[in-house]
Amino acid sequence: MADRQAFMASIRRALGRDAPGASVQPPSETALSLDPADLDARARAAANDASERSDELMDALARSAASAGWKVARVSTLEEAAGYIRSAALDVEAKTVVRSAHELLDSMGIDAALANVGIRAETMTAGDESGREALRETAFHAEMGVTGADYAIAETGSVALLARAEVSRLVALLPPAHVAVVERAIVLPSLDELFTLRRGAFYDGNLGSYMNIITGPSRSADIEQTLVTGVHGPGEVHMVLLE
Amino acid sequence: MKASLFVTCVVDQFYPEVGESAVRVLRRLGVEVDFQEEQTCCGQPAFNSGFRSDAKPLAKRFLDTFESSESIVIPSGSCAAMVRVFYEELFHDEPDLAAKARNVAAKTFELTEFIVDALGITRLPESSGPPRRTRVTYHEGCHLRRELGVMTQPRALLEAAPGVELAPMRQADVCCGFGGAFAVKYPDISGGMLADKLRHVAETGADAVTACDSTCLMQIAGGMEKSGMTTRAVHVAQLLDEAMG
Amino acid sequence: MKPKTGDFNRAAASALADADVQRNMRGLYDGFHMARERAAEATPNWEDLRDRARAVKAHTIEYLDHYLGMAAENVERAGGKVFFAKDADEASRYILDLAAARGVKTVIKSKSMLSEEMGLNARLEEAGVEPVETDLGEYLIQLRGETPYHIVAPALHLSKEQVADLLQEEIGGPRYERAEDLTAAAREQLRGKFFEADMGITGANFLVAETGTLVLVTNEGNGRMCTSMPKVHVAIMGMEKVVPSMEDMGMFLRLLIRSATGQRLSSYVTLVNGVRRDDDVDGPEEFHLVVVDNGRSKMLADPALREALYCLRCGACLNACPVYRKVGGHSYGWVYSGPIGAVVSPMLTSLPDAKDLPYASSLCGACREVCPVRIDIPRMLLHMRSDLAEGGPHSGSPRASLAERLTMKAWRLAVARPWMLRLANRLARLAQRPLVKDGRLRKLPPPLSAWTRHRTFPAVASRPFRDRWRSELRKSRRDG
Repeated sequence: MADRQAFMASIRRALGRDAPGASVQPPSETALSLDPADLDARARAAANDASERSDELMDALARSAASAGWKVARVSTLEEAAGYIRSAALDVEAKTVVRSAHELLDSMGIDAALANVGIRAETMTAGDESGREALRETAFHAEMGVTGADYAIAETGSVALLARAEVSRLVALLPPAHVAVVERAIVLPSLDELFTLRRGAFYDGNLGSYMNIITGPSRSADIEQTLVTGVHGPGEVHMVLLE
Repeated sequence: MKASLFVTCVVDQFYPEVGESAVRVLRRLGVEVDFQEEQTCCGQPAFNSGFRSDAKPLAKRFLDTFESSESIVIPSGSCAAMVRVFYEELFHDEPDLAAKARNVAAKTFELTEFIVDALGITRLPESSGPPRRTRVTYHEGCHLRRELGVMTQPRALLEAAPGVELAPMRQADVCCGFGGAFAVKYPDISGGMLADKLRHVAETGADAVTACDSTCLMQIAGGMEKSGMTTRAVHVAQLLDEAMG
Repeated sequence: MKPKTGDFNRAAASALADADVQRNMRGLYDGFHMARERAAEATPNWEDLRDRARAVKAHTIEYLDHYLGMAAENVERAGGKVFFAKDADEASRYILDLAAARGVKTVIKSKSMLSEEMGLNARLEEAGVEPVETDLGEYLIQLRGETPYHIVAPALHLSKEQVADLLQEEIGGPRYERAEDLTAAAREQLRGKFFEADMGITGANFLVAETGTLVLVTNEGNGRMCTSMPKVHVAIMGMEKVVPSMEDMGMFLRLLIRSATGQRLSSYVTLVNGVRRDDDVDGPEEFHLVVVDNGRSKMLADPALREALYCLRCGACLNACPVYRKVGGHSYGWVYSGPIGAVVSPMLTSLPDAKDLPYASSLCGACREVCPVRIDIPRMLLHMRSDLAEGGPHSGSPRASLAERLTMKAWRLAVARPWMLRLANRLARLAQRPLVKDGRLRKLPPPLSAWTRHRTFPAVASRPFRDRWRSELRKSRRDG
């Protein structure tokens, strides 16, 4: 704590104050000025609005995702989704596909659909230390990762993935291809609604340790400003929109 | 309407014809023009170089000279910005002078800004003879654009000028590399920036390049002569003078 | 790292003479700069966002102690540790001690300007720990032992050929030519490191005070690797990066990313809250946040420079700057380059040593025009120039050379009174007589000879405006 006290004292000196700001009033420009007590209401309003506009949002998401570099597939049934994933896996000549334990993937019978064409599907779930090591190895060698998504954002063409019990951080990271399945109900208009919901999650005590917002393939333009995809993360990304 | 012309030291000493054009243009638009002979320089060279105590007496002289003018018109975005924007900063710890600077700033205008915003003129009187046809490209002075926010006024006047055809320039808002003391302290960097500007001027195929600042034009004209380009460099005041003449 | 900010003139001259550098730099305008322009136009209420973000940064910096305290508490609540370091050395020592305690051999790193500022890689190497930069551009300049050329694109100055040579020497194997193949080679080389490493070090784009959330913006995926693979994650952060609310992030991410590359969002935005939870499948077991001052309080203490701490490090001012596009990043002699670098580098090192940087600008203001939080860089450069020329809190005594001071005095004399201006005009005409031809001066003697390398100069008018006014204009009134 000594480091902290000295540090804060030196900041206050620089600011010409000798004590902490007595009562700091956040100005209206920051959302901190908005009472967290209203968060639920605002988040609900955002969700209602999103569900009323869901047709429009699905279209907007399909457009923005495509321009961000996703291959976008719009499917109407779970079987169709499984079929799309299977053919995408065949296209990359996958031997092993790793997936998260999203319920949606269970209910579409993805494991069986892949097994039918000789592709092994491994679900990445929590385990002990040695189990985790083995899972890493599997993910490292897998040709494709399949996940659901917690949110999708029409504004930016993104999916947001939260780390939790059934969802490894690595499924959408280590394999060279990633498929994200997006249901209509999770599509938000913009980043603002996403962060309202995340702020709500914090005050509800379930923010979790990690969220990743993914917008298209891994990319770099570090060599002569030439765009290259697939640097450390997946170079091929699919967004399956489930109507 | 009355206007006191602050002609700037550069126009006074190097480009007096620009000042003459400014006077003729303003008079033709019905403005009563006077020239306070006590004026010298706004002090910008010293201020920009960090020598604020050398800039202050000049700024004070300016404020004294023009305090009682109805409006002050300057054929330079850069010098107008010095008066309008930077005097207050220069006198930030001298409240009386800062207040005086604010008062003078409120009635100080760059030439084209004065014509369009203060006089409300966007249509120019026809010239007496047939207009001389010129294809012109416009370079946007940095202080004019970014300190004064004057972007549309010069273009509007040029478009309204009989016989003038405006040819758009790529990167018209990129600095020509003059920057006052900058061009003296870093002549080669400034020269590199100038080379880009000349390329963009040449691409337009225009007969003339124009700007609201004689300093930009000093740089551009000097570069064009050095590299053998025959494009004319003329101040907007001169083009308006020609078009209305 | 040791600053070479005093070397600006020499370094700038060599950049100007380098055709490769000039070509790469020209691409910045049509590339990043125009991409920003289009993205700004396509974003609703872009100008309002800038105003709001500026107000939020101004408020946060004004109460920096309050918000850092709030952030630290929330990081700790999420199982993280927070260390406040007054300088680069304290911060480096904290990390070295931690690495030693955990038996760390290899560290994977995600691009951090602060790490460059601290010279952290050199410190790790001295301690026998292998630091591996994993951002492609940063990896390349680490191999070359250089500082970043650009805040967003560290290896902007390298040609494909240089990269090809560099990678072949490092990795062996065939010499690749195409950017795709070179990238793939680097990817393969770095993959193993992600598995080996016992510690990941990242920077921080933002730290949300309200929730203790670290926000990282990357495109390659290496940031995700560094925050997911090793057991220990250390984030280093300049103290100014804290923002109040989670709900401010939409605004800040739009501004940062669209100003930097014009993308609507970078490929990956990663939000980290402390350590992996018990039921998480994976993630680090330890999270350390190191908050660093390292000279920033000098800017905090000077109201005229305080707004330099609003900077989001998007790099838009570099792309917009016609001087940066000529002299390139290394001319600035330290970690930060371009307009914001000309302010920040002297403040974090020494203004008298870096006295050329505040003058390396035509004050055109293109930087302020594109800055997502409207930092008035020209105003700060003017402030620093005055500090240098006349003495001030950052320079102590006046630093202007005798020649500069004499020139200033001579000029001031010439323009002091109208009659002196007339006299100066007469003297100048006398002096220029042997040099004038057709009203132009084509070759000036030193020290002005450099001027006429690129441009000719007009001769002083034989009849200045004030004479013409007296003899003709005053009387003529209206001639139209």
